[in-house]
Amino acid sequence: MQSFTRHDLASLFRSFAARMFDERASLGVLDGEIGDADHGVAMAGGFEAAAKSLVETDDGSQTLGEGFSLAANALLNAVGATTGPLYASALLRASTLFGDTKEVPFERLPEIIIAMCEGIETRGHAKPGDKTMIDAWSPASHSVRLGLEHGADTVCILEQAAQKAAEGATSTRAMMAARGRAARLGPRSIGHLDPGAVSAAALIDAMATWAAFATSKDVS
Amino acid sequence: MSARKVQRGSNNSTNVRPPLRFGDDLLLWAAWLYYEEGLTQGEIADHMGVSRPSVNAYLADARVRGIVNIEIAPERFRALSIARDLQEHFGLDDCFVIPSTGSDSPLVDRLGSAAAQVLTRITRSGDTIAVTWGRTMLATANHLKIHSLQDLRVIQATGGTTAKIPWTPEACATRLADAIGARCIPLSAPAIVSSSAMRDLLIKESVLSEQMEVLAEANRIVLGISSLRPESTIHTSGFFDGIAMHEHYHDAVGSIAGRLISATGQAVDGPLEGRVIGIGLDEVLAIRSRIGVAGGMDKVQAILAALRGGYVNIMVTDADTARAILTSEGVEKGRPRPSEASPAALPERVQVKKFLNRPKDAVDESIAGALLAHEKCLAPIKGTTRALRALDGPRTGKVGLVIGGGSGHEPGFLGYVGRGLADAVAIGNVFASPPPDPILAATLAADGGAGVLHIIGNFSGDLMNFEMAAEMAKAHGVLVKTVITTDDVASAPADARAARRGVAGNVFVFKIAGAACDRMLPMETCFALAQRANERCYTMGVALEPGASLDTRRPSFILGPDDMEIGVGVHGEPGIARAHIATADETADMIVDRLLDEMRPAEGDEVAILVNSLGSTPHMELYILNRRLRERLKTRRIKAHVTLIGHYYTSLDMAGVSVTMMHLDPELKVLLDHPCTSPAITIS
Repeated sequence: MQSFTRHDLASLFRSFAARMFDERASLGVLDGEIGDADHGVAMAGGFEAAAKSLVETDDGSQTLGEGFSLAANALLNAVGATTGPLYASALLRASTLFGDTKEVPFERLPEIIIAMCEGIETRGHAKPGDKTMIDAWSPASHSVRLGLEHGADTVCILEQAAQKAAEGATSTRAMMAARGRAARLGPRSIGHLDPGAVSAAALIDAMATWAAFATSKDVS
Repeated sequence: MSARKVQRGSNNSTNVRPPLRFGDDLLLWAAWLYYEEGLTQGEIADHMGVSRPSVNAYLADARVRGIVNIEIAPERFRALSIARDLQEHFGLDDCFVIPSTGSDSPLVDRLGSAAAQVLTRITRSGDTIAVTWGRTMLATANHLKIHSLQDLRVIQATGGTTAKIPWTPEACATRLADAIGARCIPLSAPAIVSSSAMRDLLIKESVLSEQMEVLAEANRIVLGISSLRPESTIHTSGFFDGIAMHEHYHDAVGSIAGRLISATGQAVDGPLEGRVIGIGLDEVLAIRSRIGVAGGMDKVQAILAALRGGYVNIMVTDADTARAILTSEGVEKGRPRPSEASPAALPERVQVKKFLNRPKDAVDESIAGALLAHEKCLAPIKGTTRALRALDGPRTGKVGLVIGGGSGHEPGFLGYVGRGLADAVAIGNVFASPPPDPILAATLAADGGAGVLHIIGNFSGDLMNFEMAAEMAKAHGVLVKTVITTDDVASAPADARAARRGVAGNVFVFKIAGAACDRMLPMETCFALAQRANERCYTMGVALEPGASLDTRRPSFILGPDDMEIGVGVHGEPGIARAHIATADETADMIVDRLLDEMRPAEGDEVAILVNSLGSTPHMELYILNRRLRERLKTRRIKAHVTLIGHYYTSLDMAGVSVTMMHLDPELKVLLDHPCTSPAITIS
């Protein structure tokens, strides 16, 4: 695969939406332990709306930046809650990353993870260890930086990032929440996974899977 | 009963000691094995290395002396079983868990005392003990006293630091050596040096290299475990000054002996690699007794990492921390004891019945129905289904009042829209903030040219979405000021008021702000009055049953048949503590004590009271609670100027109550009495 296009962006978001739909119930259960059980519904609804807006406008006229921006707004207005502004900020940051180009080299795909992580950090002000989605995004983002520095293969970089995000999500079990609704539970939040970190890990994993599939199609 | 007597009674073993978790208490040990483990007296004799008649005597003695009833009190008991679970799960040689409650001394001090007991029991003549640094290490040294042993050496496990703290590596080692009459060997170098070349050079110096040789001979090490959280002491230690931790050590979750470790206990390398003078992680692992001493909820992740890495084989901690570690590992905490079993629970509600069509339509359909029910008061706003305005609200020159938040807080928030209250409302999904678009629509609809006041509860989703909407409104030329309510006393301590949730106190804050706006007061005044109303509001909630999710129709958390949940919020989430269910008067007393404690009213002061159902608690119980609240206020000579009772701010259908008191002053009182017309409150 040579480049990542606006058409690929729609396809990527369809993967995100499908994955969030699959994870909906289990995320709800996790959120029920320390929150109000709606995280799965919010993520599924938000990414469904984003994917829908991207697919409906996939007529070749938009730039990647416009695509990300459209997805951000669709997601924001479908969700609200905390998920809406955080992922909208993440996607808006990704939209400035690719600016007004209609396609970028496929090797730049992992940069989306770095940009999204920065967007979330800026909007939410959470730090690693606060038991939030940042505990998945931050290690994934670091791992992408490392991979890009070493010129690693794109799919490998994404798979490594997915693994780091999954480990990060698992590590939230031992954390006491310092931000968001679960923070009010104090020590009672320990022992539960953070649903935001788990859904973040699932998104990054979906991206890696999508990229592997896209590349394999390319070869054949 | 002394240890010597045991050895006399033993035929084959002269060196059997009870596991650490029993301290030196042989009666407790015997009683545990007999009553808890269900061992026979013969088996216990083998286990303890004593004769069977001795066991028999112990058990009789334990009963006569009431140890079974008194010594194995619930908290001790729990600590014992948690210690065993921790020991088994991590394959520790031993584990000592102290109760988390029951004493006024600080945790660090009590952990130090426990660690001192452990050291007293395991230290032998000729030992070389390495020691790290920190508050807990210093507390350990302060509690320690050993006279009888010879040829002890204490060696500093890391180089020194110039940080201005009492618990430096030098101080901890010196104090520990003094306490046990040992020779103290320092490491005559800084813990962190400027380069690895400098380290290599220093290590070759004969003084330091001799000291490092002693360190390599250590057969015991006492380790503090530090978290890397912003509040941890490591940031005052001077160890990592000038190092961008986040930049280089993003994998690290904790630190032992000045070395950083990951969640799985692996060493994490960074710019300090090669610049540390002190014991290495591999060298720690080579030491026979590795006593970890640490506790506290902020350290759970770090302790877990140290245990996973095997850096500790004797753990000293407290019950809450131990329980949190086990929970994090997915181990069932403190196995249920038959004696603790409660009476048979009623069958759990597995499915909750609801009048619903499709759950995803619930919010929109309820807004549609509310509009019809209150058509003389509410009107839709063009272009959005998730924002409504007051028919008789916004006026030119009047500050607009916009409220909003998630659905499920009935009759909020649309119940507080109308003349004399809010001008417009933005409505989110169940327990989820509305997105910026409807908030913007509500803001524009409420704008009368004098600015718009947003009042929202302190929840991260609401903060972010309302902040974004305010930015968008500014682009439309509308000035927005925001008041964030923080009345829930249970959600954070008084000195962290800004972190508290905003719950039912909203009702009073809306009322005050609505009246101020209706009186055409300028923005600054409306804002200040709303702020003051919030500052003088105090709320606390208690739940008897969880609410149920519309989507899953399942309870939002599980509460045992004898439990009540204290300090619940309004999103179906659990509260801050669980307690045995109390009577109405006891519950009212608990709430009123807490609220008045913070409010500190003087005799003759007036308050407004809201006794609020969290959803499924009926008026009957609210009235019973109110009766007791008023009795308590009367004896304090506090007048209730206004009492609201009923469904004012629910958490869907949770069974429970929240009580709000607003401490009135003359100005707030007048505004509270100002006329208003809305679906939920009408004052003429």
